[in-house]
Amino acid sequence: MEPTSARPIGGCGAVSRRRLLGGVAGLGFLGASGTGLTSCARATDTAGTAQQAMAFYGSHQAGITTDVQDRLAFAAFDVTATRREDLVDMLKTWTAAAEAMSRGVMVPGDSHAGAVPPADTGEAVGLSPARLTVTIGFGPALFDGRFGLAPRRPAAFAALPALPGETLDPACCGGDIAVQACADDPQVAFHAVRNLARLGRGAVVTRWTQLGFGRTSVTGTRQETPRNLMGFKDGTRNIRSDDSAALTKYVWVGAEAGQDWMRGGSYLVARRIRMFIETWDRDVLSDQEAVFGRAKYTGAPLTGKGEFDNPDFADRTADGELAIPDNAHIRLAAFEANDGVRILRRGYSFTDGIDARTGTLDAGLFFISFQRDPAQFVTLQRKLGKHDALNEYIRHVGSALFACPQGVADASGYWGRALFEG
Amino acid sequence: MLPTVVIKLRGGAVLLVSTAFLIAGCSRPGPPAQPAPPATAVSIALSDAGCEPQPASVPAGPVTFRITNSGSRFVTEVELLRESRILGEKEGVTPGLSGSFSLRLDDGGAYRIHCAGGAVNSWPFTVTGGSGQPGTAPENASLVAATKGYHDYVVAEVDQLATAIKQFTDAVRAGDMNKAKQTFPLARVHYESIEPVAASFGDLDPSIDARIDDVDNPADWTGFHRIEKAMWQDKTLDGMSPMADKLDADMITLKSKVAGETYQTAQLANGAVELLNEVSTKKVTGEEDRYSHTDLWDFAANVDGARKCFELLKPALAAKDPDLARRLEGRFTDVADKLSTHRQGDAYVDYSTVPEDQRRGLADAVNALAEPLSRVAGLVV
Repeated sequence: MEPTSARPIGGCGAVSRRRLLGGVAGLGFLGASGTGLTSCARATDTAGTAQQAMAFYGSHQAGITTDVQDRLAFAAFDVTATRREDLVDMLKTWTAAAEAMSRGVMVPGDSHAGAVPPADTGEAVGLSPARLTVTIGFGPALFDGRFGLAPRRPAAFAALPALPGETLDPACCGGDIAVQACADDPQVAFHAVRNLARLGRGAVVTRWTQLGFGRTSVTGTRQETPRNLMGFKDGTRNIRSDDSAALTKYVWVGAEAGQDWMRGGSYLVARRIRMFIETWDRDVLSDQEAVFGRAKYTGAPLTGKGEFDNPDFADRTADGELAIPDNAHIRLAAFEANDGVRILRRGYSFTDGIDARTGTLDAGLFFISFQRDPAQFVTLQRKLGKHDALNEYIRHVGSALFACPQGVADASGYWGRALFEG
Repeated sequence: MLPTVVIKLRGGAVLLVSTAFLIAGCSRPGPPAQPAPPATAVSIALSDAGCEPQPASVPAGPVTFRITNSGSRFVTEVELLRESRILGEKEGVTPGLSGSFSLRLDDGGAYRIHCAGGAVNSWPFTVTGGSGQPGTAPENASLVAATKGYHDYVVAEVDQLATAIKQFTDAVRAGDMNKAKQTFPLARVHYESIEPVAASFGDLDPSIDARIDDVDNPADWTGFHRIEKAMWQDKTLDGMSPMADKLDADMITLKSKVAGETYQTAQLANGAVELLNEVSTKKVTGEEDRYSHTDLWDFAANVDGARKCFELLKPALAAKDPDLARRLEGRFTDVADKLSTHRQGDAYVDYSTVPEDQRRGLADAVNALAEPLSRVAGLVV
């Protein structure tokens, strides 16, 4: 199967205005089914918080340890500006707009004068802030010769190497800058990305976008574990927002970066993972459970009773087989099997219509992880890509890596200030 | 063809027209208060009885007229008049629709609200305070020159258009396929450069420039693209003479209309944006000239027309926002540079040969220009 030719219908091809609108329509349709899928979780998790505005300013960017919101709008941009000042101007404009949108107010500027196009595009008017967070990351390509940033590139930061289990479509990969907008309302998330794309016109062009419905991870301490499109609970053993020791050790960049602008930041890995859900749906339950190493409905490891029971990777069945098979997903991904390596996952389910050649749904997981060093992801994916039983049903078709700088402290700062001025 | 309705403005009032509905009553707080005084709102509910303004008297200053039509099929437009001059109007407010227009009324005195088709079609409207003098504040001299310059440009373009179309239609009538194909893009460029103006004259633009998707009945389809299909797809000019005659007749109409037309600065600024919107939605996709693939000619003509508007407004713009003027200059140059890579001698290449990534590059350059260009109207009006 060649994922590249699926692109004219779905995928993350170049985004025209028309395509963006198509995306909205698609999201609306999916919104209905996605809500049904997670309605129980929503009622308990977010009923009290849906109206909240999340703090934009802080030592870390919002949208990393923030309790995972229900919806995602993600965009990767290429910088077309040739002057460093123009790029910096855009980042200042973006920061002010993102901060305003996070509070639930309109993009700064005049939106009421009859003689000019409104500064804000308007579709979020009347909606709550919906816990919107907007997170920015810089791609390795930005550190080439164009803006004099080459000396500022941290040693750990280079494009991801080729990895097993991937058949990448270049149209779904890379980018100079990424924006991750998460909110409990899909229109609020979309509005954020759309307005930044508009404000960036002339300095950046949109390279690819991804809408996500239905979170597939949990970072909050009281959030219920959601299910991925394979029907399994995902993210049970994720790093939680209150686990400051794990965050310091595995997520936040420290002094080792050799670049102060990344201290308190984190590296974002995005992987568009196509799921072959039709063939998955034809797999028998016992095999589905063996592939993950968990019971489908309770989420319990095959060696336990409850979702949060620790998997016993040494346990064997009566006939001497490993209770959690040696190629089960949770075994290969477990920190116990990877020298303790952990990452913070923050992915979303996606679908982008059908694969025109096969008539199958173009759907899957838009995997996002945050880590202190991209090597953490590389270590895990080298193992999973080679041995994971799940590989029969998935393929990595898109990939990108971004360095998300430290947070903006207050209104005098802007995204990347320490990178450009430090 | 332009699908948008261009609202024509006449008279010398400083007039802003908005087809967008005003955002009101929202829970999401708007931006901080604007320094400009708030506009007084006047509601006009169109009905078979007429168009009574509420209130019928306002203090001098900015006024926004909000027009609604809850059910009248006969009264669908409204005009604001001072003596016999139309200062503002809103057309096409059919049942269920609403709209607005805003302007500054600094001169106290008697005005009238007029609506054709109503039982009472003329309603009194009074502005209190202000200078009491009829007329309006003197316009910036450079803007007067700009609108005058634009009139002359449109007239000159239409003159060239008529000449070029005649060569094309003569070839069509003579059955000279090669000559017809060769003159087709040359004639179109003088239309595409002034398309928003032509599109403001009711049925004229659909008659001249409709694509097959724009007509209800293919038998009623006339104009450039009807003949384009005959040449490139049907590969015969049989039966096209009446189409050629119709184009010539439409040119006579167009010429007479533009001769007496006057323009507002807002029309120049917004017309420039409309031209670029045409490019980014219809030319970049290759759907405008789908049979001949001569889209790049139209593309260049749309940009030329937009640039003309910009050049005319530039002195006024540079006085207000020199940075924006410089930025726009640079982005017009970017678009021109990208376009020029697709020139071959004095012609443009067949658009079907332009690869996707290069089309995307053209679209990006146009969008990078159109976005800041859309801010010009607010600065020069």
